[in-house]
Amino acid sequence: MQPDQRLLEVTDLKTHFDTPRGILKAVDGVSFSLNKGETLGIVGESGSGKSVLVRSIMNILTSNAIVPQSSKVRFEGKDVSQLNKAEAKHFWGTQMAMVFQDPMTSLNPVKKIGVQITESVRFHLHASKQEALQRAMDLMVQVGIPEPRKRLSEYPHQLSGGMRQRVTIAIALACNPKLLIADEPTTALDVTVQKQILDLLASLQEELDMAMILITHDLGVVAGRTQRIGVMYAGKMVETADTSTLFANMHHPYTEALFKSIPRVDNESHTRLDAISGRPPDMARELVGCRFAPRCRYAQNRCISEEPELLEASAPNHQQACFYPVGSAHNQQAAAANQQAGITAAGLDLTAAAVS
Amino acid sequence: MAGTGKAHLRGNEALLTVEDLTVEFPAGRKAVVNAVSGISLDVLEGETLGVVGESGCGKSTTGRAIMQLPPPTSGSVIFDGMEMTGLSKEELRRSRTRMQMIFQDPISSLNPRRKVHDIVAEGLSIWHNDSGHSAKQKVHEVLEAVGLDPETVADRRPHQFSGGQCQRICIARALVLDPKVIICDEPVSALDVSVQAQILNLLEDMKERYGLTLVFIAHDLAVVKNVSDRVIVMYLGKICEVAAPDNLYSHPAHPYTDVLLASIPEPDPQQPVPERQIAGELPSPINPPSGCRFRTRCEKAQEICSTEEPTLREISTNHYVACHFPNETPTKVINTF
Repeated sequence: MQPDQRLLEVTDLKTHFDTPRGILKAVDGVSFSLNKGETLGIVGESGSGKSVLVRSIMNILTSNAIVPQSSKVRFEGKDVSQLNKAEAKHFWGTQMAMVFQDPMTSLNPVKKIGVQITESVRFHLHASKQEALQRAMDLMVQVGIPEPRKRLSEYPHQLSGGMRQRVTIAIALACNPKLLIADEPTTALDVTVQKQILDLLASLQEELDMAMILITHDLGVVAGRTQRIGVMYAGKMVETADTSTLFANMHHPYTEALFKSIPRVDNESHTRLDAISGRPPDMARELVGCRFAPRCRYAQNRCISEEPELLEASAPNHQQACFYPVGSAHNQQAAAANQQAGITAAGLDLTAAAVS
Repeated sequence: MAGTGKAHLRGNEALLTVEDLTVEFPAGRKAVVNAVSGISLDVLEGETLGVVGESGCGKSTTGRAIMQLPPPTSGSVIFDGMEMTGLSKEELRRSRTRMQMIFQDPISSLNPRRKVHDIVAEGLSIWHNDSGHSAKQKVHEVLEAVGLDPETVADRRPHQFSGGQCQRICIARALVLDPKVIICDEPVSALDVSVQAQILNLLEDMKERYGLTLVFIAHDLAVVKNVSDRVIVMYLGKICEVAAPDNLYSHPAHPYTDVLLASIPEPDPQQPVPERQIAGELPSPINPPSGCRFRTRCEKAQEICSTEEPTLREISTNHYVACHFPNETPTKVINTF
């Protein structure tokens, strides 16, 4: 890939929060890059740090967040923390924009839709009232809202959930961003509406040649919609790969376990699900070793004492952070040893694992 | 009205029979929200009935109306041979031990100020006036059954547990009075996928162990398929289709079921994303469409759909649909695009 194709580069991003319980390491050293026009899916469960990761990139963290100097976010080669005041003012929201999970709380309930869409056009692009209004109308058509003129003078509560999310997408697109970050854009929506919104995002992305980061907890959502996927667990990226490679060849035990725990429509009813035992670690505690080890059926002594790094796996563009990656000979040995003992090195009881 | 009919009812064998259930809520200025409009369903003993549909289809209202929370506007709910709708307050209260409910948000459905043991034991102390040794034993038994360690959890409070563990406590609380029927209203939709699988497995185990009959309400089609013996698809207060899950998902007959299935994102990049999406928006339940309620968004809608309401009829063994133009040659949905 040519270097000028690179749009976003995140290096060793750490976002910690100062809380009454101590330092909470929500994101703990994540690196990835994104090319122009590319779609990256970031998958993880609650508390994996996926939302904090993109909020750090968008510079919308709360005041108790601590991001060390060594964490770098480069956009088109430029370190975004080095932007001067004037540049920064028109950077977030124009170059990079974001769509949030719940459209009811991300829209202002007491302002008309039209005002909310034109606001950023007027502020960032210095458009006149007339121009901004025209732009708002165009955007409403683009995101598929019927009767745009009427809708512009309505309030958010007068729209359905799907329509509201279309409005937030229109707002995000208002200044032609090069990167759109969508943080669980469809989690609050019904499945048929989810499909409409995901289809809309895909077509807009192609039309406007944007790059997109799609955050979700649903492997089904990223499967058909992204080129690359990053899987996060407990503040770390544990596996990244091209979408087709990842689904064909899952290396990290967490990715495998997550995939297996999804109930599939293709399975017969009453198929027993492979649940992941236990729950994610407390991020305010000092964590040693692999963070997934306590729940991992392959865990060995090394996993408890040493933390695996995100390294190149067999296929190009495929990285994983595991000492005993699924599909390797090491993994088979580890699985056999644990099966025989009935318990993993981290103390997970494999015989009772199905219940808890 | 769209989707009435009782062709799918199985007569006297059923443990729970609901007929012509209608729930309306006042919406001011004489308007009413038609939340549930004349649906009928039944559940056999030991069966899991899945009720699936999107927001506003009336699935939760149906579940609550069965529990008489609040009682339905009209219709009958017969549980184990007893008509529930006309009962006095006290009679209703007495019948409730045998029918329990599990809710969507496990954390808000537990009293944060009470200890887990007291939460689970409350039913026992009310019903059997029992707070002594045998109650303690029973509480321990159900806590253990749901995969919690009674010694360590009994004296803690709900905020010390994760969402999945709180849902286990809710299940234990529902089990403690040995109910016959548990109505699960979106029991896993607030949980992460990995925890969701734990809870779904647990519900299956509990069903087996305690001989339960479940009404499982959810919006997730894959989840409903996984646990159910029979599935009802609802849309805007009406039943669209009733079938055994494997049948329903491989041969959806109702156009709404079809589009619902096509909307599920499949975790398989080799499978192309279906092009079909649902048209338009959900009509208002205050003023639902005449005839078939789905006709305003249906590709197949004809004039008859607006004038005449389709009733449920059997199209193949144990497969019922309320549509004038059901899919004639059933093919697997993913191949039809």
